[in-house]
Amino acid sequence: MRVYVLKRLIEIVPTVLAITFVVFVMMRSIPGDPVVALLGDGYTEEDAVRVRAEYGLDKPLIVQYGIWLAKLARGDWGRSILSGRPVLQDVVIRLPVTIELIVLSMGVALAISIPAAIIGALRQNTWADYTATTVAMIGVSIPEFFIGVLLLLVFSIGLGGLLPSSGWVYLPGTCPSMVCGVSIWGNMQHVLMPAFALGVARAALLTRILRASMLEVVRTEYVTTARAKGLSERPVVLKHALKNALIPTVTVMGLQVGFLIGGAIVVETLFAMPGLGTFGIDAIIARDYQQVQGFALITAIAFVVINLLVDLTYTFLDPRIRYA
Amino acid sequence: MSGGGSAQEAEIPVGITLPARTGRANSPLAQGLYRLGRSTTALIGAAIVIVLIVVAGFADVLAPGSPTANAPAHTFERPSWDHPLGTDQLGRDMLSRVIYGSRVSLIVGVSSVLLALLLGVPLGLVAGYYGGRVDTAVMRVMDIILAFPIYLLAIILMVMFTPTAGLLGTMKVTGAIAIVRIPIYARLVRGSVLSIKEKEYIEACHALGVRDHWILFGHVLPNCLAPIIVTTTLGIATSIIVEATLSFLGLGTQPPTPSWGWDLKANLAFIQDNPWLSLFPGLAIFFTVLGFNLFGDGLRDALDPRLK
Repeated sequence: MRVYVLKRLIEIVPTVLAITFVVFVMMRSIPGDPVVALLGDGYTEEDAVRVRAEYGLDKPLIVQYGIWLAKLARGDWGRSILSGRPVLQDVVIRLPVTIELIVLSMGVALAISIPAAIIGALRQNTWADYTATTVAMIGVSIPEFFIGVLLLLVFSIGLGGLLPSSGWVYLPGTCPSMVCGVSIWGNMQHVLMPAFALGVARAALLTRILRASMLEVVRTEYVTTARAKGLSERPVVLKHALKNALIPTVTVMGLQVGFLIGGAIVVETLFAMPGLGTFGIDAIIARDYQQVQGFALITAIAFVVINLLVDLTYTFLDPRIRYA
Repeated sequence: MSGGGSAQEAEIPVGITLPARTGRANSPLAQGLYRLGRSTTALIGAAIVIVLIVVAGFADVLAPGSPTANAPAHTFERPSWDHPLGTDQLGRDMLSRVIYGSRVSLIVGVSSVLLALLLGVPLGLVAGYYGGRVDTAVMRVMDIILAFPIYLLAIILMVMFTPTAGLLGTMKVTGAIAIVRIPIYARLVRGSVLSIKEKEYIEACHALGVRDHWILFGHVLPNCLAPIIVTTTLGIATSIIVEATLSFLGLGTQPPTPSWGWDLKANLAFIQDNPWLSLFPGLAIFFTVLGFNLFGDGLRDALDPRLK
């Protein structure tokens, strides 16, 4: 097991290299460069040449990538061309916001989908099941940002500003500067709608998958056996059926990571949250090469690590699955 | 009620046997089509999709006005007889914008999937059929694309293509979404080919001296069509969501071309007093995606009862 995890961790390296290299080449093939934006309209060509040289942008692509990698190996993620701030510092400040958003949204997704799928599967073809499947169908058809807009309409505008429509209050200990708002209550108020917007979309999909696999599992012989030996319904459903039915669900959750990252970008943009998603999209649009590289790196690592966690979850759900 | 499980099949009262088994429709395709016709979900989905195609096709006739004509005297009008969905900050008629917006969604949704199919299916066929180095080379490239979080790649591609308005802008979005979706079809087809190429009838083809390309397109491809068709329909729904999301981020088709995602985002600034301006484009996206999802679900139950 330990060897397997180690092997998988080593395998992360080529994937992350591939992703960051492709992003590197793609970003630099975009017409125009950030130097012009940095210098403003009144720049001279000499200034541009000097600044390009300062940031190493005049060197061949592969050399630039090599320099980026070499710096990275020493823990230096580079500096933003536009703001001059160290990229790593920005990533570290923004990461907790996005992690909080994603973890809470997964919590929302599971809290909705597990009961909904169990009811749907155990009470198949009853009104409860129809409600669960219909709501799930509607849920998979609404983009995250529209769920967010609907929440905004109800909770920020309709209910007289019950929840704040934008901005952020940091959790104690994560505040990046002296001036930010810090409070657990304020943080909860700010994160609630974004987490729901992102979570409801996942919940709908997970309900559909989990209900389908629960339907298969509850018809298996070991579930019949569990019932026949006199176990009450609760352990039969939760320990015998649900645990096994979760395997395909976890697979789908893993496959959804790519969409989750996109969802985080969208939801953070909608609610103006200072997370990695807004950091990434702003960096890409401004072509701040160093920031984009940092964003690509952290997303690639997250993407690969989450997929590894998904594979490790299998061993917990089904002890027969062992990684040698 | 074999193969049941979807809510719709369950609506058929118990005791009525499905006449599909009495021999009227024997081929798998005919049986599938028959099941499709009996599926309420699929029919609702198909109805939504047909309405959408009609709306997009006849936008010129159906829209009460121009989607891009400014009317400074009529900004932010509430829904009325003249403007059933109100007007936006430039006085443009929202109903007309929503009607014309269907074009971008539909064109991008369908053509990006078709383009991804056109490139992904042959790649998957060749990789699966020939195996070896061809397979490794093709699938490595696919793996690299798949290793990307889909939105990261789509966003960067759109920045590379520089979003523009009009047909060209729509084509750029189509291209970006198609690229990120090629591996899905390549993988799907390759997987099917791997099992089909070991079948006796393919061996028989080899024995008869049938040429490779005819084996591939005449015998292998038709046998992996069912999952391709299902994935395609559901893929259109996903592509429409991705298009709307890119537009929402300002990276889709640019104004003045009407696009639902863009309209929703642009009108968010006025949501306090004019909530319907964001609401209607959002509802349009929702019903469109719902239509393709319902139809795709029905199609999956009908064509491949094993995939549930």
